[in-house]
Formats: sequence, C-alpha cells, structure tokens
Amino acid sequence: MNPFLNTDAATLSPVALFLQADIVVKLVMFGLLAASIWTWAIIFMFWRKLGRTRRATEVFERDFWKADDVDAFYKARAEDDLPSARVFAAGVAEWRRSTQGAVIDRAGTRERLATTMGAAVATEIDKLSDRLNVLATVGSVAPFVGLFGTVWGIMRSFTSIASEQNTSLAVVAPGIAEALFATAIGLFAAIPAVIAYNRFSHGINRIEARLNRFADGFHATLSRQLDRER
Amino acid sequence: MERAEKVGLGVAGAGHVILFGLLSVGFLSTPNPEKLKQQPIDVSLVKDVGLEATAPQAVEQPAQSIAPETGEPDDAAPPAPAEPAPEPAPAPPQPRPEPKPAPPEPAPKPAPPKPAPPKPAPKPEPKVEPKPKPAPPKPQPAPKPVEKPKPPPKPRPDPAAERAAAQKAAAAAADAAAKRAAAAAEAKAAAAAKAQAAADARAKAAADAKAKAAAAAKARGTGSDSQSTATRPRGGRLGDDFLKGLTSEPSTSRSQTPRAAKIDASALASIVQAIARQIQPCADRQVDPGPGANEIVTTLNLRLNENGTLAATPTVVRQTGVTGENERYAQRVKDLGIAAFKGCSPLKLPPEYYDTPNGGWNNINFKWKLR
Repeated sequence: MNPFLNTDAATLSPVALFLQADIVVKLVMFGLLAASIWTWAIIFMFWRKLGRTRRATEVFERDFWKADDVDAFYKARAEDDLPSARVFAAGVAEWRRSTQGAVIDRAGTRERLATTMGAAVATEIDKLSDRLNVLATVGSVAPFVGLFGTVWGIMRSFTSIASEQNTSLAVVAPGIAEALFATAIGLFAAIPAVIAYNRFSHGINRIEARLNRFADGFHATLSRQLDRER
Repeated sequence: MERAEKVGLGVAGAGHVILFGLLSVGFLSTPNPEKLKQQPIDVSLVKDVGLEATAPQAVEQPAQSIAPETGEPDDAAPPAPAEPAPEPAPAPPQPRPEPKPAPPEPAPKPAPPKPAPPKPAPKPEPKVEPKPKPAPPKPQPAPKPVEKPKPPPKPRPDPAAERAAAQKAAAAAADAAAKRAAAAAEAKAAAAAKAQAAADARAKAAADAKAKAAAAAKARGTGSDSQSTATRPRGGRLGDDFLKGLTSEPSTSRSQTPRAAKIDASALASIVQAIARQIQPCADRQVDPGPGANEIVTTLNLRLNENGTLAATPTVVRQTGVTGENERYAQRVKDLGIAAFKGCSPLKLPPEYYDTPNGGWNNINFKWKLR
C-alpha cells in the first residue's frame, strides 16, 4: 500500500487529506504550506543572521574600544559586513568631511556626526528587519486563511450530507477532517511565525540599542577629539 | 535573495518535507482499536407495525364426544324400506303375546301408527302404500292392499330383501372396515330376523329393527321430502375400540368463550363506548337536576358479572368538574349515574374481554356525565 495515499480515515495522513480536499481548500492548504515554508526559511535566516551579527558586533566593539588608533582600525575593519562597522565607517567619513576644512564648526560637526550615525543605525536596522514583516503577516493572517478553508470544507461536507440524504458520521467525518486540516496548517504556519516575530523583534531591538550605544560612544569619542582640535 | 535566505529556505523546505512525510507514513497516527470500529448495521424502515395481539386464545380443548351414535349404518338404509313390507304381516300375528314391549318403541317414532297394538292392520296400510313409490316399475299398488294380511307378500318382498341384502353386503365389503363388518353383521342379523319373522329369540332385535324400519318406511313414504334424509338414523362410526385412549376423568373444558390474550386500548375504548350506548336509554329518561350539573364528570367503578349484570352497586371513584355553582348537584349526579347502570343492566359486552391478563370489563371505570 502506498503510504502517501493512505485513505484510512483513522490515520493522519496529510497527503491523503490534501488529495481528498476540495479545490478551494487545496489552494488554501497549498498557500498556507508555502507560507509555512517561507516562515521557517525566514526564521532560519534570522536565527543565523542575528546570532552572527550579535557575536561579530561584540567582537568588533571590543576590538574598537581596545584600538589605540581610530584611523588604523578604520583601515583594517571598516569594510566588515557588520552594522556597527558601517555605523563606524559613516561616523569616520563624516568626521573626515567635517574636519578637512580650515575652519571647524564644532557644534555643526557634532550635530552632523549624530545625524549621520543615527541615519546609519536606522539603515542597518531597516536592513536587518527586512523580512520580519512577513512573519508578522503570516502570524496574523494564516489562522484566518485556514479558517476560511475549514469553513469552505465544512460547507462542502454539509452539501454532501444534503445530496446523499445520509447523516451518518462516515459521510460527514472525512469532509470535516479535510476541512479542519486547513485550519491545522494555518495554525502550523502562524504559531511559529508569531513566536519568531516576537523573538526576532526583541533581538533586533537589542541590536538597535547596542548600535545606538556604540554610535553614542563613538560620537562622544569624536566629540572629545573635536574639542582637542585647535 | 541573500545566501542566508537561500539556506533558510532550503532548511525549511527540507524540514516540512520530512515532517509531512513522517505524518503520511503514520508517525503520529492514533491507533484505531477494534472496539472503536463501527460495524455497519442493516436498517430497514417499515411503516406498518404489528399491533398488539387481541385475538382470542383458545386455551382449553373442547369436550370430546364420547357418546357413540348407534343405529344402522348409512348404507343399510336402502334395504330397510324393502324389509318393512314383510314385517307388517308377521308382526301382527306374533306381537300379540310378546311384542308388548316392542310396539311402544315404534309408536313414538311413527305418530300415526300409535294406536293400540290391536291395530296392526292399519299400520301396514301406510307402509304398503309407500312401497309402490320407491318401486315405480312394479305395478303392485293394487295387489298389495289385498295381500296385506296374507303371508304370501313375504316371498315377493323377499327377493327384494335379498337384493337389498346383496347390495348391503357389497357395500359392506366395499367398506372393508371392521366397524362396518360389525354393523353389517348386525344388519344381516336384523334381516334374518325379519325374514324368519317368527323367531322369538330375536324378538327384541326384530322389534328394534322393525321400529327403525317403520321409521325408515315412514320417511321413505314421503318420498323426496327433505325430512326423509334428515331423520334417517346414522350408523355408528365407532369400532370395538372406540374407548381406546379415553379416560374416565371428566373433561377440563368449561366450554366458555376463550379469553383474549390481552385487552388493548382500542378494545377498551370500544367497550366503554358499548357501555355508554347501552346505558343511554336510561340516561335519557333522567331529569337534569339543574344548571351546571352536566359539567360534572363522575368516574364510576363497575363490577360486572360475566353475564353483564352488576356484581355490586357501582361506586364513585372521583368526581371532577364540580364548581361552586354546581356542587349542590354533585350527590344527585352520583345517584343518577348509579341509577342509570342499575336500570340498564345487564350490559351486553364482548365476553372475550371479560377478564384478560391486563384487565377487562369485569372491573372497569366509566366516566359518567349527564347529557
């Protein structure tokens, strides 16, 4: 017997349930399955990206605060694929642009440095949280889509009751099981999405706070340096 | 799409495939024990259902008829008419001294010949007259009256008797039954007695046969009259062993109407209707005691005998519909109800419902109401 075509109602065979379902329910199931796969892809991606970013950022910041020469550190690490590296690069670039002239506007330079590095932080956070909206959408919409499939399938089951003039459980049960499978897939996609969304939102907030602290610290360093310039 | 996204997509797709594959092969399937499996049941929908059985149930066997029917066998009837002819002549001469007992017997059957024994002469006349009828081809009506007193007639009838005897014997042989044989022997003996006509020893049997023959002749005398066949004696159909298997104990049968197995609602309703119908004449004669009295419903308990008479004065079970306006008539209504039953009993009700395992009209409640 082909296990994928197991039509025994007592076994929970997703393929059998999918194949027996109505075309609308099939579409709903297919969409929800794709959403689930996409959700999990994003979850894996975020999981790896955030973890790597957090670890690399820690290393970068530790190295930065240990470095004696900012210019040398800039030459060595500014090209790193890291949010904090890009914020650092943006700050250094603005510093160089503001201090290369004969006259230095200290207050203006400080303001520009703060603005530039804030913009860099915002850009990096936007980049990091790029796919997070997908998780939010799947988490909030998937249950409703699954419910739609369920309602549609149950309507179809009742139609079959009416057409067969038979109310025995054997007639109703398969249709309801198929229909409920749509809700099951919806919840299967939505629950991890909601959990991941909350988890990664928290992680991105922490990274954002860390970047802001790093930017503030670098801004303070540059501001002190600015005071020493003639 | 970044590399991380591709990796994530691959991992997620692989994970889903693995998960659904496991579910498909029954990784998490719930076992389905035998007891939860539904065995299909054949259901047939019918509109007609059997009602409660109310047919009478015969529980007692009817009484057995143990009284034998004696008399000449059926097929002995034809010869009988021929025999009487010779008898009349011999009878008168001999009977004189002996026949005393014999004449009385024939007397009751043939009403006309009743007259005293000294009238043997007239007797033959009616017998002789009929003779010609059964034997139309024989133009002997005239000679017979003349020959009446003479013995000669004997010989003539003799051949007839012989013929009859031959027929009788043939019939008996055809029957070939033990019973028949006995009956035939008896008949033969009778015939012999008649032929001899003078044998004292067989006077009794002869008298018996004579009486029957006289009756038969009488019957035959009326010709095709329906009575001729109706009054003909039947031969006993009993053998020597007719008492075999019978005991001297009395039969348990009471020869009552069999009881119904059960009384059902419709039978009860029809009984109540029958009671209402039968007491209506008495109720119609009663005067309405006053306004509102006909709203009182009196439930009377009737105790009835099997013949429909009241076993006891009806008693009042309850009265409903008594209001402040008509309560002064309540006692009067009770009395009227009881009077109606007393006046119109006995009631004629179906006897099979007199007493059944679940009730009957031997003890029945009736709702009495003035009309």
